[in-house]
Order: sequence, then C-alpha cells, then structure tokens
Amino acid sequence: MAEPDIILRLQDDLKRALQKPVQERRWVMVIDLRKCVGCSACTIACIAENKLPPGVVYRPVLDEEFGTYPNVTRRFIPRPCMQCDRPLCTPVCPVGATYKGPEGVVEINYEQCIGCRYCITACPYAARTFDFGDYYTRGTAEMAGVVVGQTQASVYERAANFEYGNPWPRRGDASPIGNVRKCHFCLHRVHAGMLPSCVTTCIGRATYFGDANDPDSLVSDLIALPGVIRLKEDLGTNPRVYYIF
Amino acid sequence: MILKRVLYIVSILATLVGLYGIFLRFTAGHQGAAYGSYVVWGLWVAMYLFYVGIAAGAVILASLDYVFHLPLFKGTGRLSLALALITLAAGLLHIWLDLGHLERIWKVYLQPNPYSVMAQIVFGYTVLGIIVLVSFYLTFRRPEGALLRWLVIISIPLALFLSGGVGALLGVQAARLFWHVGLFPAQFPVFSLASGIAVMLLVLGFFWDRRDPRLPQMLLVLGIASVILQVIKLYFVWADYSQSLYGGVPQNVEAVEEVLFGPYWWAFWFGQILIGGLLPIAVLSQPRLARHPLWAGWMGAAILLGFAIARANIVFPALTVPELKALVTAFSDPRLEYRYFPSLMEWAVSIGITGAAGLAFLLGLRWLPLIQAEEAKA
Repeated sequence: MAEPDIILRLQDDLKRALQKPVQERRWVMVIDLRKCVGCSACTIACIAENKLPPGVVYRPVLDEEFGTYPNVTRRFIPRPCMQCDRPLCTPVCPVGATYKGPEGVVEINYEQCIGCRYCITACPYAARTFDFGDYYTRGTAEMAGVVVGQTQASVYERAANFEYGNPWPRRGDASPIGNVRKCHFCLHRVHAGMLPSCVTTCIGRATYFGDANDPDSLVSDLIALPGVIRLKEDLGTNPRVYYIF
Repeated sequence: MILKRVLYIVSILATLVGLYGIFLRFTAGHQGAAYGSYVVWGLWVAMYLFYVGIAAGAVILASLDYVFHLPLFKGTGRLSLALALITLAAGLLHIWLDLGHLERIWKVYLQPNPYSVMAQIVFGYTVLGIIVLVSFYLTFRRPEGALLRWLVIISIPLALFLSGGVGALLGVQAARLFWHVGLFPAQFPVFSLASGIAVMLLVLGFFWDRRDPRLPQMLLVLGIASVILQVIKLYFVWADYSQSLYGGVPQNVEAVEEVLFGPYWWAFWFGQILIGGLLPIAVLSQPRLARHPLWAGWMGAAILLGFAIARANIVFPALTVPELKALVTAFSDPRLEYRYFPSLMEWAVSIGITGAAGLAFLLGLRWLPLIQAEEAKA
C-alpha cells in the first residue's frame, strides 16, 4: 500500500500549530538535498504566488558542480530566506522596517521601508532583493483587442499580491516598488491554513515546513537527524532553514 | 580671470546635465540605474562617502582659524566652512536620491532605529550641518565671538566621529569580509582630513588672493600635511590588501583581486595610487613646488580624484563578490548580476551635483567675502 503524501502530514502539523498562540510557534523549513532535482519549480511557484516582478527572486536554486570529468557530481540547493534567529539584517535598518516577527519570520513593513538597501548588504545569504519597479510587460507590443497586448497583459502584473496579509497592487511608485523584498515563508498562506507555495509545489517532496516547537511535527524529527546542516553557521546567524545532505 | 570663466561654463553645463539626470530619476525611478539586487549600491553611495569626507575634513580645518587662531591661517575659516556646507549638501543629496522612497526620509528623524549605524550618522551629519550653517552665519556677524569658537570646537570631535561612523557603516557588515575590518572606522577619519586639506589646497591654489604674502607658506604647510596623510593612506591600503591576500579567505581575496586586477584595475593603479597618491607626494614634498599656487591647486585636485576613486573601490568590490558562489548562475536577470558600471542616469546626476556644488562655490566667491586675504605690509 502506497504511503500517504508527506504533504498531508505537513498539513496536519500546520493545523495543530495554528491552534497555538502565535508566540509559541517556531516555523522552520527543512530541505532534503538528496531529493532535490534542481527543477526550480519552487522558484517559479514563489514568483507566481507573490507576483514577483523582474529582478526580485525569493528562492533561487543554487546549482553546484563538483569534481572533474569523469568523476563529476551536481548538487542543488534551494535558498529561501534563512529567517535567522540572530538576523544580521534587522539591526542595520535605519527605520526599523525589518524585524523578527513573533513566529520567527523576519518580516518587512513595506510602508516603513525607505529603500536604502542597507539590509541587503548585511545579509550573508543574498536573500533580499530590491523592487526596482520593473515590469515583464514593459517594452512589449501593443495590440488591439481585450486579451493580448501590453495593456491587457499588464493587468495581471499590476494586480495585487497579498504578502503579509495585505493587498499590494502594483501602481506608480507605491510600495512594494522601491522596497526591499524577501521570502517570508508565505506567512499569508500559513495564516490561512495553507503550506508555503514552495512546499506544496516541490515535485520531489524535498521541502518541509512546520513548527519546531511541536515534538510531534515532521520537521522536529528531521532537524534532529545527524546529517543536517545550516548555511554559514559560523556567522552566528542561527538560521531556521535546515538542509539534509 | 579665464579660469573662473571656464569653471563657470563647465559648472553650468554640468548642472544642466544633472537636471536631465534628476528628471530621469524622478520620472523613471530606479529603473534607469545600473545597480541591482546584488551590487546594490553604486556611484551615488560612493559619491556620498566622498563628499561627506571632504565636508568633515573642511570643518576640522576651520579650527585653524577660529579655535587655534593660527596667524598663518587667519581668514581661511569662513572659506573652510563654506566648502564644508557645499560638500555636505552634495553628499546628502546623493544619498537622498539613492533611496527607494526618498519621500520617507523624515522617518529616519521621527521613527529611527537607534541601533542602526546609518540612522546614527544621518542624525549626526544633520547636527553637524546645522552647526556648520550657524557657524558660517556667525563668521559674518560675530567672527571674534565665543559662540563661534565653541561651535567649531564641538564640530571637531563630531566630524571625526562621524567620519569613523561612515567607516563603521561598512565595517559592521559581517557578511562582507572586505569591509568587516577594524581598520575602516580608523582610516575614514584620516581620509576625511586628507580630503579636507586637498580641497583647501585646490581652492587656495586657484582662488586665494596671490597678493597675500602668507599664501606660499599656507600652501607649504598644507602640502606637507598632505604628503604625510598620503603616505599614511598608502600604508593603510597596503596593510589592508596584503593582509587579506595573505589570509587567503576566498571572499576577501576575490574582492581585493577585483580592485587590483579586475576590469577597472587602471582606475586603482593610475587613478588612486599614481595620480591620487604618488604624484602629489612627489610634487608636494618639494618646497619650491608646494609653495606654487598652481602646483598646489592641481595636486589638491589630483588627491581628490584619488579619493573619489578610492571610495568607489571601497564600495563596489565587496558587492561584486557572491555571498554564495552558485548565485552567479542561479537566476538569470539583469538586476541579479555581480558586475556593475554606472548608468547614464547615475553619471548625469553625479556630474550635475558636482557642477551645482562648483557653481555654488563660484557664486559664493562672487557675492560673499569668502576670501579674507591679508594685504602685503608696506
């Protein structure tokens, strides 16, 4: 009998965590690099979910090659925001626009951010990007009709995303244009009882998400495994994204 | 004077270019900029460091007149303060235009994060600017008064501390090994003093009254100080880079090699070291040349060019080294590349601000008694 999809267990773990007070949740992400095939579906799912414009990417997949022919191997490492417990980015913000939220996600207040990009220089994982106000449809052809052409196609681009639970339509130079943006573990989905977009999209079921304060959760089991590491631990950032090698 | 006419024309043209750049900045936002999300700071941040460094140095030099009452520099204080005001405005204008939401600058004053070094230096430079403005006013109304003296006294440690703070702005970044050295908060005040002296050399050399019998000696003293500070500057560069190369940490080595051997190696070797360092040392260490206004003026300009390039060589290389090596190929986008050259808009704005600063200085020379030279005694 086939095993149930691991997503179902993650969803149960999520439901249980959402019944707890906010400050008792400890969201972590575990990525099993033995299963990641480097398809970048998670990258695209994140872009689609958060309607990211050109130049903004929350979860690129690093493609590393080792050895020399014929002894060559490749490794794929999805890199979301590490949601560090000691983030290097939050103390440097001159207006306190970025901060560690009660659930442990490093959040950005788009209305507070002045766009100085100091936090981007502070991040050792290059997890933050800046919204320059670019559009995919800019410079594309204009056509008659109500379906194709720059004007019609840009309607979707300008429609709101719902990061941090608020609508953010794309117009003029209003936020999040001119702001720093980053992965937030799809908090808006999580609060609605859904797993982050990258987790549900992963074709290899390589990404797990849950509450590390729940001893019955899958992520609690996984982060206790011997082959688990975190990136750049020597900096003392204490990331909340774990990798199984 | 032909020089002034040429400078007027150049300044006006440069300002017009800048107006076009600012038009682009306000209509197209940051879309006209060449920096991206990896090399996230560009020409404007480098120019901010350059100009506020000059301002801090010029403020300190005003103390030669208003605090220490050195006869040799009597009458130069007002000029120093004027230069400080103009260059501080140029620096702050650069960094203001660099913001993603420049209309939210008030948040730094009313909703600051006090732990942020950036917030601290914004506050600090604002306070310094107010002190310099009031001091400048007092040089006309009460030049011998105690208030002016005390304001300039206060501005000395403030200028030194703020210069160090600018170094710390970069130095606290543990993610950037090229910046994360204890040397930065120490060397930036030295750079500021050297820049301030260089701008005084330039201005005294080209614009001070040649009939002032003190002029050759003023230039010689400032020239000797410049030589000493340039030697110290070169020592800092050597110490920083050689230590990094010896240590062999890849992220650090890559950044240093970007400066020394990268696509813009010529800017470092010819601009920063040769023209900005060795040439002024060679010229200004010869008293006969150091006393000559034109030689002194041109060497002041050469030193300033060297520092402008040095600021760029501090900001850019740290950002062109990937935090994670494979990020270079992880996602393809023009804004996600580890290379940078300023765009037309960025150049236009910087040229314009520089032109406007020059124009402000020339107009100040024309309409205000900034030059308080002494007449030769019969």
